[in-house]
Amino acid sequence: MSLGRAPVLLQLGLLVLLVLVPQVIQLSYLLDVLIVTVMYVGLALSYDLIVGHVGSLSLAQPAFYGIGAYAVALLSTRVGWPTVACLAAAAIIAGLLALPVGIPSFRLSQYSFAIGTLGFATVAQLVAQNWIDLTDGPMCVTGVPKASIGGLSFATLPSFYYFVLAVVIGIFLFTRRLVGSRIGRSFAAVHENELLASAVGVSPLKYKLLAFSLSAALAGVIGGMYAYYVNVVCPTELSLFITLNLLVILFIGGAGSPRGVVLGAIAGTSLPELLRLASSWRLVLFGVALLVIINFFPDGLEGGLRRIERRLARRSTSA
Amino acid sequence: MALFLEQVVNGLTLGAYYALVAVGLALVFGVARLVNFAHGEFFMLGAYVLYFAYGVYHLPYGLAVLLAVLGLAAFGAVFHRLIYQPVMHRVWHVQLIATLAASFILANVAIIAVGSTQRSAATPFVTDVFTVGDMHVAYQRLLVLGVALVAFVALQQFIQRTPQGRAMRAIAQNREAAQVLGVDLAQVTRLTFVLSAALTGLAAGLVAPLYLIFPTVGSLLTLKAFAVVVIGGMGNATGALVVAFIVGLAEAFGAGYISIEYRDAIAFILMIVVLLWRPLGLMGRRVGI
Repeated sequence: MSLGRAPVLLQLGLLVLLVLVPQVIQLSYLLDVLIVTVMYVGLALSYDLIVGHVGSLSLAQPAFYGIGAYAVALLSTRVGWPTVACLAAAAIIAGLLALPVGIPSFRLSQYSFAIGTLGFATVAQLVAQNWIDLTDGPMCVTGVPKASIGGLSFATLPSFYYFVLAVVIGIFLFTRRLVGSRIGRSFAAVHENELLASAVGVSPLKYKLLAFSLSAALAGVIGGMYAYYVNVVCPTELSLFITLNLLVILFIGGAGSPRGVVLGAIAGTSLPELLRLASSWRLVLFGVALLVIINFFPDGLEGGLRRIERRLARRSTSA
Repeated sequence: MALFLEQVVNGLTLGAYYALVAVGLALVFGVARLVNFAHGEFFMLGAYVLYFAYGVYHLPYGLAVLLAVLGLAAFGAVFHRLIYQPVMHRVWHVQLIATLAASFILANVAIIAVGSTQRSAATPFVTDVFTVGDMHVAYQRLLVLGVALVAFVALQQFIQRTPQGRAMRAIAQNREAAQVLGVDLAQVTRLTFVLSAALTGLAAGLVAPLYLIFPTVGSLLTLKAFAVVVIGGMGNATGALVVAFIVGLAEAFGAGYISIEYRDAIAFILMIVVLLWRPLGLMGRRVGI
């Protein structure tokens, strides 16, 4: 990020563009694709905290996302809490639930963490389907109200788009700040070498749990946003294919880089959405794309961008 | 009492089923150091081989099972070449993601090819029951148990007595040293995938007639088999074998006496409890098959 002022200007320009989009795009279908894409950017950023920065392959993200969605749906319909309180509760519930999942799963090895989190995601889906008293099971929780803060209502598509955009930009700034902080450096230390990290007093378990819990809390917020967006929450929201989607996004973009993750989310969400593929074909395509990326483009888009930047930098110094 | 005994037999059958699947998974983990998330899809493929061979084309049942085993053995070699070998020397999570992608591809290609309709390939042995007093047991279940036991003995002899088995153990114990001594890693891991897939094909041939067959049957199975492998101690085939029967019995009794909806959660709950208490699994050592 030391390329002078250009990236800042670029980011501001991007921001202006993003804000102007609903003024230009009037088609609700395109706006819908945009909203889903922005949500996936948020979800992918949350996922990157645990996978990209700490290097633990969690497969539980759909569970935390679904738990956030259910928390908002249930608290808003049955208790009547306002939007901000519901979203905060979604974050706290998902973040706290990550602890009892993380503590045993981190114990054995990286493998057991992957398997333990996948097991948790499966159990969460079973509970959503079968705990009829709480979740209405396959009948879904319906009638989630539109989001509103104070007098501001986010009932229309453009207004909801701004709401999602604000939240996701918040998540982006938060994760970037976090990664650059002392905590973020500890994450990196744990990622690079756990033994060495613990030798210099950085407890791997503590930081992995912190990353896992934060990642879950952010996923919970996005899940809650989704509940406000579609107003219905079903057990299928916890489906494991979200994990595949997120992995594709992370690996298209380049795990561990906010810019890469954002680009990956845009490529991995908008493209299949605009191509209007049937879901089975889409999953086959995602699977194939993932295999191609990990085999032939291990650094993803971020790797490509870095190569271009390096070339530009070299040219400017030689000129 | 009859109900109790029937649950014991059901549990043992389930156990044999999980064992056939989980032992293959443990072998692949032990030898190839791979967490294979497509393992359940091997079972799904085997079940469809059985469905088409036996249910649609009406081949004799024994021949259909043989086809499932051989077909899956061949598929294991293909999987090794296309999915595992390209990422053989990459970090573990890249390998895991490759298998996860393969699992989604296989399940969704199956949905596209044969539809998500649930199919059945029930043999006459499913409805034919063996009766002792008040207890009724389908012959198919006895067949599952009997054949699985023979398969395990054969596998154990293969791993302990043959040069190929010795090479597998060598790679599992110390990959670098074994390679220095001339063991071909690609060849040994290929054999492991073939064995693992063939065992899963056998499981499909034996067990699929008892249940419904559908394209996503593998996803939960992979997870349960992993829970079994984690509880048994990663990469430990004997541990997986023993734990598979424990999980099978726990599920049969859980479904019979507690709740059928949460039967599928039992394996994971057991896994979490075991990990808290013995992080290396019940029979865990660092390596070994």
